Order: sequence, then C-alpha cells, then structure tokens
Amino acid sequence: MNRNAVIKGTGYVLVHGPDFVIHNGTTQTTERVVNPSSEYLTALPGHLRSYDKAVNYPPNQVYIGNLIPEDLAAYEFPWYDKEVPGAERYGRFGEIMPQDEFLGLVQACDVFDLVFLEKDFTAGVKEKLSAHPLLDDSILSRLKDGVSYEDIKSYVEEKHAEPLYNQGQLVGYVKQAHDIDASLSAHVLLENLVYKASGVLALLHLIKSSGSAKEDIDYVIDCSEEACGDMNQRGGGNFAKAEAEIAGLVNATGSDTRGFCAAPAHALIQAAALVKSGTYKNVVVFAGGTTAKLGMNGKDHVKKGLPILEDVIGGFGALIGENDGVSPEVNTDIAGRHKVGTGSSPQAVISSLVTEPLEKAGLKITDIGKYAAEMQNPDVTKPAGAGDVPEANYKMIAALGVKQGAIERSAIGDFVRDHGMPGWAPTQGHIPSGVPYLGFAAEDIISGKIERAMIIGKGSLFLGRMTNLFDGVSVVLQKNSGRRDGASVADLKEPAVRPVIGIAAEGSELGREVAYEGAALAERKGFKAIVIEGEDAHRKMEGMLGSGEIQAAVTMHYPFPIGVSTVGRVMTPARGKELYLATTTGASSANRVEGMVRNAIYGIIAAKASGVSKPTVGIANIDGARQTEKALLALKEGGYDINFALSQRADGGIVMRGNDLLTASADIMVMDPLTGNLMMKLFSAYTTGGSYESTGYGYGPGIGEGYDKLVLIVSRASGASVIAGAVEYADQLVKNHWKRIAKEEFEKAYKAGLKEILASVKTRTKDIDAGLPGDEVSSEAPEVPCKEIVTSEIHGIEVMDIEDAAACLWKQGIYAETGMGCTGPVVLVNEVNEAKSREILVKAGFIK
Amino acid sequence: MDLENQKRVKEYAEQYGSENLVVLLGASEGEAAGLAAETVTAGDPTYAGPLAGVSLGLKVYHICEPEIKAEIDEAVYEEQVSMMEMVLDVEDIIKEMSAIREQYTKY
Repeated sequence: MNRNAVIKGTGYVLVHGPDFVIHNGTTQTTERVVNPSSEYLTALPGHLRSYDKAVNYPPNQVYIGNLIPEDLAAYEFPWYDKEVPGAERYGRFGEIMPQDEFLGLVQACDVFDLVFLEKDFTAGVKEKLSAHPLLDDSILSRLKDGVSYEDIKSYVEEKHAEPLYNQGQLVGYVKQAHDIDASLSAHVLLENLVYKASGVLALLHLIKSSGSAKEDIDYVIDCSEEACGDMNQRGGGNFAKAEAEIAGLVNATGSDTRGFCAAPAHALIQAAALVKSGTYKNVVVFAGGTTAKLGMNGKDHVKKGLPILEDVIGGFGALIGENDGVSPEVNTDIAGRHKVGTGSSPQAVISSLVTEPLEKAGLKITDIGKYAAEMQNPDVTKPAGAGDVPEANYKMIAALGVKQGAIERSAIGDFVRDHGMPGWAPTQGHIPSGVPYLGFAAEDIISGKIERAMIIGKGSLFLGRMTNLFDGVSVVLQKNSGRRDGASVADLKEPAVRPVIGIAAEGSELGREVAYEGAALAERKGFKAIVIEGEDAHRKMEGMLGSGEIQAAVTMHYPFPIGVSTVGRVMTPARGKELYLATTTGASSANRVEGMVRNAIYGIIAAKASGVSKPTVGIANIDGARQTEKALLALKEGGYDINFALSQRADGGIVMRGNDLLTASADIMVMDPLTGNLMMKLFSAYTTGGSYESTGYGYGPGIGEGYDKLVLIVSRASGASVIAGAVEYADQLVKNHWKRIAKEEFEKAYKAGLKEILASVKTRTKDIDAGLPGDEVSSEAPEVPCKEIVTSEIHGIEVMDIEDAAACLWKQGIYAETGMGCTGPVVLVNEVNEAKSREILVKAGFIK
Repeated sequence: MDLENQKRVKEYAEQYGSENLVVLLGASEGEAAGLAAETVTAGDPTYAGPLAGVSLGLKVYHICEPEIKAEIDEAVYEEQVSMMEMVLDVEDIIKEMSAIREQYTKY
C-alpha cells in the first residue's frame, strides 16, 4: 500500500478591489440595468472601505495568517468596526494586494494584448510592483509602457472594451478578443484575466511558503468556478497551465477541476491520489477569484449602514507532495462523497460527508479535532439574512452526533465551540469551501493541537441549470504516522533518511541563480537541498528549522549570539587535503585567548561530526597562539583527548606556520575568526581572482555550547560549487548527529577542567594584552531593561567592546543584545531606539 | 426569496390557482423564513422580483411547523428532517410564520 500524500505548504491571498465592486460585481451591474438611478447605487461609493481598512479588518488578517481563527473568536461580533492593531499587508500565508498593483499584475498576466493601462498609471504601478518580493523580472518585464487617456476613452466608448478604474478614475481597458463571440467578449475576458492574475498571485505565495523550488512542481489543478474558451468550446479550460506559465512552473502541466464550491475539496482528493499513486510527486491545488461576486450582498450591507465587506477577491493554493514522514497526511482512505442517490436533505448530505466515512474508518464524530466546511465570514452573511454559515454546519454535524448517540443533546454548544471555528473567508463560492483551514490545519496537526481535521466541500449544482442535485466531498487530514519503521515525528526532526538542507541565499553578489545551481549540483551528488526565496527568507528559514521541515540551513549571513562561531572547511592546494578553519565568523568569546581555546573545541566538533574520527589540531601562529597552546595542553593533561599535530617545519611544535596552512599539516587550524575569515577567502577564491569563491565547503556551521540550530554560512561571493559543498557539509553533520557530538565534547572538556583553565587564561591575558577592554563590566553590571524585539543592527563596534557597548545602553534604559553580523559584531536594539542608541554609543566612543 | 423562485411561484399560482397552492419553506432561521413567507403572501418586500407589488396571499408553512410535521410519515420525517429540527430555532420560526399567515394569507 502506498503512503498517504502530505500537505507541504499553503498560500492565501486577497486583492482589494473597490472599483471592481462598483463596475464589475454582478449585484451592481444588474442593478444598473434594472434600476440605474437606485438609492443603492447612489449610496454605494460612500460604503466602500479604504485599502488600509481592508488590511486592518480582522477576518482578512486571519486569511493571510497574521491571526489564527481563535484570535478572531476573541473579537466581539460584529467585526466590521474592529481593526487589528499593527495589521500588515503580508502574512505568513500570503498578502492583501492593493487594487492599483493588481491591475498591473492583470496586465502582466495577459499574453494576448488585451489589457491596456494609462501611461502615468503604469509607471506608478511598475515602480510599486518592482518592490514586490515575489515578482521577478520574468513577470515585471511583461508590463507594457501604457497608452493615452484618449485611447482608453475611444476603446471604451466605441470599441466594446471594458473599462478599468482605480479610485474612480478611468485607467485602462480590456479589449474584446472577437467581434461576435460572446465567450471572448471584453466582459468575459476581464473576469478571466482578473481570475488568472489572482490565481498566479496565490501560486507565487504558495511556492514561497512551501519552500519548494518552482522547478519541482509536476502538476497544477485549478479548482475555481470560472470558465475559459471560445464559442466552440465555452469551457475549454486549462486556466491551470496558463497560470503556471506566468508563475514560472516550467516543469508543470495541469488541468481544471470544476464543481462549484465543492471543487477545491474534489481537487484536494485528486491531488492526494495522484501523489499517493506515484503518478506525480508534487501537485498544486489552487484557485484565484474574480469580480462577479464582489458586493454580492452589498444591498443589505448598505441598507444596514455597514461598509461593503465583499470588497476583496480571494485566492489560495496548497502543495500536496510525497510523504516526508513529518507533514500532515491527506488520508484518502477516509473520504466522504455525496452520491447521485444520496438525496438532498441536510441530514442525508451531512451523513454522506461526515458520519459515513468516519464510521467506515471506525472513528467517532468527536475523533475529528476541527471540521472545516463552509468558512464564510458571518460578518458578511448575517446582515444579509443567510445566518452564520460555519456555525450552522457545526450544529448540523453535532445534531447528527446526537442522533447517533455520540454526544448528548445538551453538548451541542460545546461541540460547536470545540470542533468548530468562526468563519473568516470571503464569500466567493470555492474560496471559503473547507480549504481556508488547510494552512492552520497543517500547523495545528504538527503542533499537536489536534490529531485530525476534516475538510468538507459542498456545492450547489442547480445554479448551472443542469441538475437539481446537491454535491459534496470530504477528506480527513491527520498527523503523520512517521517513518515506516515506527519512528515518531519527534525522532524525525533529528536526522531523517535524507536530510533536507534549506538554502536562504538572498543577496548573493553572483545573482539569485547561484543558489539554484548550488542546489542542483548538491542534488546530483545525492543531497537534498531546497532554495528559500524572498526578502523574509531568514524568517521562513527559522520557521522551517523549527518545524523540522529542514534539518539545516545554508545562508549568507546570520546574527549568531556571542559564544557561537563558525568552523570553515577548505581544500588546501599543496596536498589537496581538507582543512577545518576554527573559526571563520562569529565570536566564541569577547576574550581573544578564551575564544581561541573554545575555537579548538568547536573545530574538533565540526571535524568529528563530518566523519574525521581523530582529527589533529594545530594553532596558527598569530597573536595569542602561545597562551592558547598552554591552555590546550592543560586541557589535555586534565584528560581531554586532543590529538595535536606537528608543524612541517624543522622545529616542529603545535603552533603552525604559513606553509602548514598550505599543506594542511593539521586537520583543524585554530585561529581567531577575523584571521579565519581572511584564510577562508584566500582558500576559496585563490584560483579565480577573488570575486568568485569556487572551492571548498564555505564558512561552516555556527557551533557553541547548547546552540542547537544548524546554520551554515557561505559568502555573497560563494559560487554554486561552494554552496553545494556547504550542503554536503550540512548533510554530513546531520547524519553524524552533530548535536550529540557537540554535547559529548563539551562534557569531556568540562570534565578536564575547561572552566578553570578559561578563568586563568582570562586573568593572565589581562596582563599580557594590557589596554584591551577586559571583563570589568561584570563587576558592576547594570540592570537589564525590559526585553523587547531587537531588529536594528548597529555595526562598527570592536568585538572586544561589544558587551560593554550593550551594557552602556542598558545603563541608559535601552534594551540591547549583542550578536555577530556578517561584517562583524553588532549591537541589536529595537528600531525605535536605534537613533538614540547610536547617539549614546558615539558619545561613549564605541562608534564614530 | 430569489428571483427565479418568485417567478416559479407566480407561474404556478396562475396555472393552478392561488387557492390550490401551498408553499413549503426550509429556511434556516425565523427572519429568512418570514421574509420568504411575506414574499408569497403580501408581495416581495425588496421590490426586486416578479412578486413585487403582487399579493398572492398563498398558504405558506415551514417544514418544521407542527401542521406539516403531522402530514408526513413519521419514519420519513425522522430520516429527512429530524436532524435540522434539532438545529433550528423552531419556536422562533413558528412565531414568524404564524404572524405572516395571520396578516396576509387569504386562504
């Protein structure tokens, strides 16, 4: 039996479209035909929300993942007059795009020269879109230069074009694609192009949040309610492939699945089955939305003095992939379906979708943690007389439970609260249908909040006038059963069969492609690497490390805390031998000699975890080498087994000279991180002239006591081969249980008296290195102010002074942390305090 | 009540005679049931559909009202409606429906 497919990622987008509400929503277009001077149409513009209001609206913030459904339940109903403080355009699942930028995206999605935008408008939009984190040149270069206002007017007034508006201004048009064919009229094309653009946006966010490479997607299933084709094949279809083309999914093909609101659930089951059967590895289920349903319940909203709440177009995407032993499974063995013979009473419908499949699987109604059926936002539906749709569904499921004897009648309320959620999705048919919960479901299952969720899709087929039958399907998501050998999910967060290494290489001097080339190269060598894109790649990377989705990450800079530094690994020219440089970035200690002693241990850990069972250790002949030698000898004497190397030079010894570096006389060369960094550059780029690092394994993993994240550094000049080398390095560390090795080495060193040795080193070096800032701070430590989020980096402080600089800020009541940035030590403060902190640090002489 | 349904009700009334027609509703709450009932008795209160200004005064009931429940085979009712009966606020629905019938039903 094949294993269930899993959910590897989700994306959710909203597009704010107030002008689309007025000009393209069918409630409004119908009213304009029936009653053009109606009170409703006159009052409507005064009820439209600004973009900011739409962003701040609590249900919208839930949709893009900035709030969770439980947060929404805490807001007092109704929600239309509530705002989320500090709400943002981007969330962890996606974004809320403003209308002007979206019009630009619509044009970028048009491959038949049908969409034209005004010149100045285009220029403004182009600039805004170029700042979008997910739109690259392949999409932005599709924007045209723009046309004149007169041109737009003439097309709209004389040539049956559909006008496009922004903030009440005519800014463009969509042309008809055929003189007679109603299927290619400007009206239909506008709806289809808006649909396409929102679908593309959903795809882009999905790819980003899943951490997958675009090249890895094999198949895409579009599951909306739209149709494209000409008069000879009105629903010819394959929106899916058209959207995949713009999104750059070069290895995908696809198809459209339709079924009114039930289509996403149908598509989810199809995707899971395609993956489970082995036909495809990565299948995307996705949909955008279009203009028709905007303002659908507008009359009721205006009548009751509410804003038009249906002013956003929704889109979503989910990536269904092969079982990775961790991500939540789509269990296609528990799939309900409303059959032709089922009947249309609510009772028959809910039985067929909920209780029948559960009974078959031996489960009770209460074994499902959360149900997601129609997740319509009640703020929209209640004033329109359609009630609270999610609540009604939960009550029906509970009532069925009562009939079956699974719960008491008096417990219906509890069931609704515990197994349900408030609705947060826009009311565009397929968009609220079960799938809005996929993203949260995956998180809730991984975090252990729930064991299982059921996604239910229901559809009203009568709208197409082909049948009066109802429709629906359902499927269960569940905790991953782990590896076949019975290992638990927790075990898998440690080495999996094949470790997955994330590459977050934004900002390379060699271009974005280098990360992909590196990943491909690593893949060919049998390692698994995925590229993490976007300007918030680091945050994403942290999330993936935390969730166990990746076991290690390769990145270009990372603020390691003091105490952590990186062990580089290079290929030396004289003997073609590998050399571990301990260390190359970060700072093991503010004290030079203590740092170098620690670096020796870090080097041993990295080498052993890379498979060198008895690595030899040498100390580079630099300032502090002799004291380091003494300390390490003392450590060996105390019982810590250090295998010292001998210099190639005639006079031997464990302090190494320049030629020992070239021949790699020692496996591990101990030095301070600044020297290490210099060496790293030389060894990686000496054949290329310096601007391109072509050999070796990069600056290596950050190692420190109790530091349990595996983050490896490469530089902005690291080429694909070095990135691939870093992936290999990471893979070995994971497979060899680096964390366990690190713990063991520290334990052994402490047993041998590391603590005392370091203490004596520090007092002695004070005399030797007179004039260097020492440890005075600890004697009179200021009180640490309240912890706050620190994101602003202040550079330019000497590494030896870094702790003093932080303490100096504490004294002034500013919370500060120290860390190691890519260019040296940094003090981190809250961005609000940055300017003041700089002032203080300048005054105190820490920075210029 | 949606425009298509209003049209159908109006056509049936013309075809079979208003006195021979009973409209059965399945709305999920009192207010919605009341609005639909008003539409087929006093006329479309939203003035949007074919029944705007047309007072048919039809007999109208909700499926959960006792008069209708008594007409239906117990086993069938149990299988088809009992679950929703548990979910809906039947009392509120009865209240709304009775009020509309008292006011507007002509038959």
